[in-house]
Amino acid sequence: MMVLKTLERRAMHGYGIAQRIKQLSDEVFEVEEGSLYPALQRMLIKGWVKAEWRPSENNRRSRYYWLTASGKKQLGAELSEFARVMQAIKQVIQTA
Amino acid sequence: MDWPGEAWRRFSFFFRRGQFQRDLREEMADHVRMKTNDLHEQGMPSDDARLAARREFGNALLLRERSRDAWGLAWLETLLQDLRYGLRQLRRNPGFTAMAILTLAFGIGANVAVFSLLDAVLLHPLPYSHADRLFRLFATDAKHHWPMVSTSYPDFQDWKQQSRTFEAMAAYYQQDVNLTGTAEPERLRALFCTPGLLLLLGTRLAIGRDFGANDGRRAAVLSYGLWQRRFAANPAIVSKSIHLDGWAYTVLGVLPPHFYFPPHEYEGELTPQIFLPAIPNVGRAWNYVRAIGRLAPGVTRQQAQAEMNGIAARLAQANPNADHGPEIRLGWIPEVAASSVSQTAWLLFGAAAFVLLIACANAANLLLVRDAAREQEIAVRSALGATQSRIVRQLLTESALLTVFGGALGIELADRVLPLLAIAVPANSMFFTRVHDVGVHLNSAVLAFGVFSTALSAVMFGVLPAWRATRPMRASRTTHHAGRLRGAFIALEVALSFVLLTGAGLMMKSLIRLRDVNVGFRTRGLLTMDVSLSGKKYSSPEEQAAFFGQVLTRLQLLPAVRFAAAVMNLPLTRSDTRNRFEIPGAHAIRGSADRDAVSTDYFHTMGIPLLSGREILDSDSARTPLVGVISRRMAQRYWPHQDPVGASIVVSRPTTATTPKGTIVHTKPQQLTIVGVVGDVRQLGLDVPPEAELYVPYSQWPSKEMSLVVRTDAEASMSIRLVEKAVWSVDPDQPVTAVKTMDQWVSKEAASRRFVLQLIGVFGLIAIVLAGVGIYGVVSYWARQREHEIGIRMALGAQRIDVLRLVVVQGLRQALIGIGIGLAGALALTRFLSSVLFHVKPTDPLTFVAVSLFLTGVALLACWIPARPAAKVDPMVALRHE
Repeated sequence: MMVLKTLERRAMHGYGIAQRIKQLSDEVFEVEEGSLYPALQRMLIKGWVKAEWRPSENNRRSRYYWLTASGKKQLGAELSEFARVMQAIKQVIQTA
Repeated sequence: MDWPGEAWRRFSFFFRRGQFQRDLREEMADHVRMKTNDLHEQGMPSDDARLAARREFGNALLLRERSRDAWGLAWLETLLQDLRYGLRQLRRNPGFTAMAILTLAFGIGANVAVFSLLDAVLLHPLPYSHADRLFRLFATDAKHHWPMVSTSYPDFQDWKQQSRTFEAMAAYYQQDVNLTGTAEPERLRALFCTPGLLLLLGTRLAIGRDFGANDGRRAAVLSYGLWQRRFAANPAIVSKSIHLDGWAYTVLGVLPPHFYFPPHEYEGELTPQIFLPAIPNVGRAWNYVRAIGRLAPGVTRQQAQAEMNGIAARLAQANPNADHGPEIRLGWIPEVAASSVSQTAWLLFGAAAFVLLIACANAANLLLVRDAAREQEIAVRSALGATQSRIVRQLLTESALLTVFGGALGIELADRVLPLLAIAVPANSMFFTRVHDVGVHLNSAVLAFGVFSTALSAVMFGVLPAWRATRPMRASRTTHHAGRLRGAFIALEVALSFVLLTGAGLMMKSLIRLRDVNVGFRTRGLLTMDVSLSGKKYSSPEEQAAFFGQVLTRLQLLPAVRFAAAVMNLPLTRSDTRNRFEIPGAHAIRGSADRDAVSTDYFHTMGIPLLSGREILDSDSARTPLVGVISRRMAQRYWPHQDPVGASIVVSRPTTATTPKGTIVHTKPQQLTIVGVVGDVRQLGLDVPPEAELYVPYSQWPSKEMSLVVRTDAEASMSIRLVEKAVWSVDPDQPVTAVKTMDQWVSKEAASRRFVLQLIGVFGLIAIVLAGVGIYGVVSYWARQREHEIGIRMALGAQRIDVLRLVVVQGLRQALIGIGIGLAGALALTRFLSSVLFHVKPTDPLTFVAVSLFLTGVALLACWIPARPAAKVDPMVALRHE
């Protein structure tokens, strides 16, 4: 979900995704950066993202991922599911 | 939700996997590089930055593999990899590979070959539509309610008319006819059947049509084979005439190829080549037709059984003289067809399965020995991060490769052997008539079985060693464990070989016993043949007697011929004519004996000794009182402690009259005086004890079907042409058939058993070779492994003989355990052989002891050969080696 969310705005390469997640979460999520790639492969199969080699900053070539239509739909579904679960947890915590 | 797209993406990934791999590697490298740059810019020295970047990224290789696994087709890729690697491994060990493949090929080949036999005999569908609704109907006898092969024609008609559960019923019987008028005269097996039999079986004729009720008695349908052989497959034969027994029959049609009827019910039954209309016999006591019926759809066997029993009970009450019981037995045709062959077929199949088991055990042993040599390689691989399942998969792939090659070679081997097998199948023996009707060949069922047994053996011999190889590498324990496993495989091989060899031994002893059977006459130099006169030309008994009289005179004039005689039923040919008789007196005794009409010189010619009284003489003729000579068995049974010579008995003598309604047979009681007693002969077969025989003069009981026996000075088979010429010089139109020496009859008697022995013997041989090679391989491996220990022992003063004993005993112990298990197994299993054994108990101690000794000897040899070099080890070399 987090990967999908980072890709929502624009296409990014793997390193960018890793950096962004780290940055946005204030370095709470310190996962092995490499484990991003198996996840990306799974999303490629599901058809949620697409990948392409594009020229990046400083004239290099990077592999950029971006969301497809079904990826956006999936993100929406996951976000609302997440909100629902969060809401439920919040209620449990507050009333208890 | 989007599975077609997903499947497509997975699929296309597989074919562009190289590209994806490169992409992944490149982008990961890119990632690390960017990270390094960033860290460097944050002030870290570049070397430290690179290391940190790598550390935070994780194990790139593992991650790449996991990414690839995500695509789901990784297993296919690994498989290809494993296959490539496995092939390389197999090429590197050509000796091991060849041994393993050959071993498996033998096992699988033997199974495929026997299965194709089984397929032809048991599994191949019968050539009748709705065979599952076809039943043989057996009348029962009044006394014991035992089923009888044949019933009377009037009974059959009553069954057919009264039954509602059977939608069709037909009757048939077999008899030989002479085909004359074209080329050489030929004796044909004919099936006489009621019209509608072919319709009942659902048979469509190849050409022409079947005969119906209105076609009269002189209509014929030819078998496909006869049509091809005698009539050049000419379709113009339909509605032409052929001559059978001198009468003209109109050919109405030709049966389809591969059709045969009836399914064989007893050994030696011939397949009819021509179908003719049955001639009804109106006598209720005249049991000569076999009945078959097709159940109406939806009717159960129980319903049919109940209805038929009702009919039989009514008939038995209405016709007490017919001597039929109030029951009718039903025989389901697929079962009837398989009944007498299935046991032998499964027996051979079981033997072949043993060979496969031995082959698998042997291959597994070879694998274990080889894997031991690869222990280091496997250790390195798992140290490098290969998971256990990955290693197992690799090892399994290798054993699967071996089995595939072994299986392919085995099927090829079976294909080569099958024609030999078909030849080895003795003609007309029970098991194998169907083999000739159906043929033995590799068909899809057989191939499927080959693939199945290949897969099965891959699992059987691959799994255990592979599982073993992944046990944690605690060196001492694994070695010990593997040693035990190897020992167990040896014991298994020896045990299975023991069972097979015991089977072969018992069969061999049976055959020796069979060969030593005293048949009651001298078989050497005896030539036999059948002559049946055509009914039209020789209709009266006088004409028949005159013909055979003339033939015998001509034969006796031949210089090579010492004696010649005629007999109605040759001994050892499974034919007899049982007849009742009565010994009159105050306490009349009823008995039965096989009645056999013979010519004057029969006992001389055969070499049957005369025990008391006189032989049959020329002076016994149609005009003198009836006389008979009886066998010793008959004398002992009916005149115990008395001399039967001079006693008289009452026999019933049939006379046949043909009326428009059918044949009517009258029997007339007549007095017969016993004039002599002769020795016993095995009339029915080598394995059937002599029965009561009553020999009567041919001149008093003429028949148009006789066998000739000729005693020659030289080798009997040399005189065949001369004898045939002599017969044809009397009448060139009479076929002379079944020309054989008596020794051929004797050997034919043993043919079925010999075939079983040949197969089991070959299997036993393969088994013993495999087991021997297996023991050899393992013992030599052990010896190599213990080289160091042996060196120390020798350095400490052990003698060569001690070392030899050390190594041999270790192997021999396993073999002896195997013999023990095999002994128990054989005791439990050989009873399945009892139907084919002759005068040998399934637990014959001599055979068991002989097999034990033989196997121990083989095991000793297989242990001793590899032990010898071990004992020659130079202690210094062995120690320095360390």
